[in-house]
Amino acid sequence: MTAEVVGGVETAPSTVVSRGRMARLRELAPFVPAGLLLGVLFFAPLAVMLVFSFWQTNANLDIVPTWTLDNYATFFQTSAYLRTLAKTVIMGGAVTAICLVVAFAIAYFLARYVSRRWARIALLVVIVPFWSSYLLRVYSWQAILGEKGALNQLLMGLGLISEPSRLFVYNDIGTFIVLTYVYLPFAILVLYASLERFDYTQLTAAQDLGASPSRAFRHVLLPQIRPGLITAAIFVFIPILGEFLTPSMVGGASGLLIANLIQTFFKNALVPQGAALGFLIVAFVTVLLIIFRRYLRVEDVYARG
Amino acid sequence: MARDVDPLETMPVSRYAGPTRWGLRVIFFLLILFLYLPIVFMVAFSFDESSTPSLPIQGPTLHWYDVMIHNRQLLTAVQNTVSVSLIVAVLATIIGTMAAFVLVRGRLRYPNGIRIVFTLPIMVPGVLIGIALLVFFSRAFHANLSLMTVIAGQLVVTVPFVVLIVASRLQSFDRKLEWAAADLGASPRRTLRHVVLPLIAPAILAGALICITLSIDEFVITWFTVGNQPTLPTYIYTKVKFGVTPEVNAVATVMLVATLLIFGVASIVLGRATRRTSRKRAATPG
Amino acid sequence: MTGFDQGYSRRTFLRLTGALGTTAALGGVVAACNVVGSGAKTTGTFNWMTWGDHWIQTQLDKIAKDVNISTNISELSGNAEGYAKLKEVKGQLDKMSADAMWVPNAYFKDGLVEPFDINSLKVSSQLYSFAREFPYWQAAGGGYMAYPFGWSPIMIYYDPAKVTGNPTDWQVLLDPKYKGRIVVENQPEEIVAYMARAAGIDKPYDLTDDQLTTVKGYLEKLKPNVLKFAQQATDSVAAMVSGEAWLITGNIGNEDRVKDGGGPEIKGYVPSEGTVGWHDGEMIVKEGANKSLILPFLEQSQQAELIAENFLVNGRPLFNEKAYKILTDQGKKDQADRYLYGKAGDVLPKVVLKGPGTSTDKSIKLFNDIFGGG
Repeated sequence: MTAEVVGGVETAPSTVVSRGRMARLRELAPFVPAGLLLGVLFFAPLAVMLVFSFWQTNANLDIVPTWTLDNYATFFQTSAYLRTLAKTVIMGGAVTAICLVVAFAIAYFLARYVSRRWARIALLVVIVPFWSSYLLRVYSWQAILGEKGALNQLLMGLGLISEPSRLFVYNDIGTFIVLTYVYLPFAILVLYASLERFDYTQLTAAQDLGASPSRAFRHVLLPQIRPGLITAAIFVFIPILGEFLTPSMVGGASGLLIANLIQTFFKNALVPQGAALGFLIVAFVTVLLIIFRRYLRVEDVYARG
Repeated sequence: MARDVDPLETMPVSRYAGPTRWGLRVIFFLLILFLYLPIVFMVAFSFDESSTPSLPIQGPTLHWYDVMIHNRQLLTAVQNTVSVSLIVAVLATIIGTMAAFVLVRGRLRYPNGIRIVFTLPIMVPGVLIGIALLVFFSRAFHANLSLMTVIAGQLVVTVPFVVLIVASRLQSFDRKLEWAAADLGASPRRTLRHVVLPLIAPAILAGALICITLSIDEFVITWFTVGNQPTLPTYIYTKVKFGVTPEVNAVATVMLVATLLIFGVASIVLGRATRRTSRKRAATPG
Repeated sequence: MTGFDQGYSRRTFLRLTGALGTTAALGGVVAACNVVGSGAKTTGTFNWMTWGDHWIQTQLDKIAKDVNISTNISELSGNAEGYAKLKEVKGQLDKMSADAMWVPNAYFKDGLVEPFDINSLKVSSQLYSFAREFPYWQAAGGGYMAYPFGWSPIMIYYDPAKVTGNPTDWQVLLDPKYKGRIVVENQPEEIVAYMARAAGIDKPYDLTDDQLTTVKGYLEKLKPNVLKFAQQATDSVAAMVSGEAWLITGNIGNEDRVKDGGGPEIKGYVPSEGTVGWHDGEMIVKEGANKSLILPFLEQSQQAELIAENFLVNGRPLFNEKAYKILTDQGKKDQADRYLYGKAGDVLPKVVLKGPGTSTDKSIKLFNDIFGGG
């Protein structure tokens, strides 16, 4: 069966393309569980929270249906929130950048130079440490990066520094290190899935045609794994906006990120205020995603044959 | 072809290939060091006599392992957490993969919009989802909280990860392979089962591993949606007044060793099964 | 092709494992979703949400064996979260633990818990008499709102080798000499409250706008001195042990914890301006299906021997007077005194008990303002 050519773009043969409403419903049926899950257990409950965010708490810590915009106004009235959001975005961006670079190197290594069986074992070895309690791992980081910690002792033993440095933890550097630690495996898993099926002979072909290795890399490899790169970036950057445990434990007094400020409200039963702040962050990220939607395009890269 | 050897290994490429490969090997081992460094300390603290994790380590002692074995609440918590994670991983992978197929191939009107919709659960702070679900389960469904509600809540935040990662893999999937299969007479379902799914398996596997990782340490949403059943994260994170003691380090060590053992055994068994099948196929004529 | 062949055997194996694993997991989950018991009179199981230091497994086992009452425990992470959860789950819980001022100002006001006649419990005679007479726990229509358990003020601990001058008040935390050397607990509302106490304010949870401005100044001086916010006591203790922190705030008992961790000998004190703190208690949930089991259970679980054991395990003072005598007989009087066991009458008047107040919203916003943004 030959492919149909419609408007200059090839489409799949007609056995794959279905017609009719029943067929269309059957085509969309696999989406139903996910759709139901999000609709019933995400959008509906959050719609309730959205309403709450416009209400108030009384002295009794009950939510009373008095409409107000104060909860949202607070964000813009106090510079601390905007500054913290900016700081969170910068921290998120930095961590995403380094995660992408390192994860790419690791995933490329595993996808290209390691047989599939060992690559899967390596992925498991990478992810298994993260199946332990996060709190315990951060306590360990404190012991490593702290003033009397292993890192300082190593550096002093090597003679690189003469007295312990307090530079590594309880500040933004500590947050940066631990956040990178936490999100690196996610980036590795995503990029491996993307790089694993890439046909590396394309790089050889490109070089045969005269391209330097780095040119082949930039113009042949990167565009084709772009969906993977974007997904990895999303898996790292967006959850960081919700991180509160790491900044409070290793970020020091000046290291609080936006999710910490949201937590302080919820920890004191101030649900409307916390919800408002949470929704503002969601709106902010959604706007970001919409602005950059061109880079997120879900084009079928191969559909053009 | 018993082992899949990368044919590129035998072809001369650029003169940077050798050093690049060695450089990448070094980076890989540095990474393993980085990832396991806190784990080494976490395990070491489980043998520390003091109940506070700090250097220097006094001991060693097996006291905390003894405490762990007799701590029924902790052991039940581990059992619950492992069960819930497995169920969440399986369900999320199935639900998410199905949705990813429709997202990429269903010719939806606003695929980018739906993609952003799937990103929303990742964006919303967990405490917001947790409280929202608590209110919803109690008032809208009048449901008793239990591990079932925990699973439901965790699915909300894990399915998006699976959808996004499988969709991104599907996006760059070469449709010509499917057309070739169709040309050779395979039905769409056969093509799906034998051509598409095996080739996107790494993405599905990655999604499942991410789900397990998210679920095992999920505290906030779990706390708001759980009934009387302890889970490991709720056990650990609720020790706010006086702090955790190292029997949780002991539990974490045991879990780590057990997981590595299970994977080790599984890969040996799978490897043997593969070799047996390939040998059989090589032995039988044509 | 290789993919195919490998696929069959591998897929079958994975399928089998997956099926077995999921069945086992599902079985475990279903078994764990034990249905809430219904209407049992004097024996059975009830559901209790509490902190980890309110129970000891061996004690619960013995009570279950002796009087056939057992309990399913769920853990509390904080008063506000517990309150939010009880408001929604109501009858799925029978017994609830909470801090002093949350009892009347949140739980009781919402009709979530019911008062009981504390004197009807024989074991209540073992309590210090004032613990049976907290005015804020006395319900208007008669009855007591909660059975008192333990207490602690928030104290300051310091390493005398590094902090000279024998401090006795909150001002030491604001001293620029200790920049980056203080660890405070991650409880924003309490941090604002005890800074208010440092400023001499009597009602730190009901601050006026002027008072908030004063507290703001104190917080600004505190911020550069704070090294980190401790998630749990373990955090602060570890910081003292490693010597990174010279001063910490926290509940009673940290000297022993620091010494046990291999750290220096530290000293603790209740600041002279007064402090904030907590005492907690057990409440009966009004809609609890098994609430009839609570009083018989308390009769057993609050016995002095068990309380004494709890003190030794968890290291903070409790309200059971007979337990103090037992500890003395066991030769633990020194430890009990160090933990201010018999001194509640002296210390508690200096302590403002934490709970919801009229200025919670503004205090949290003040905290975010000062500590947010780097």
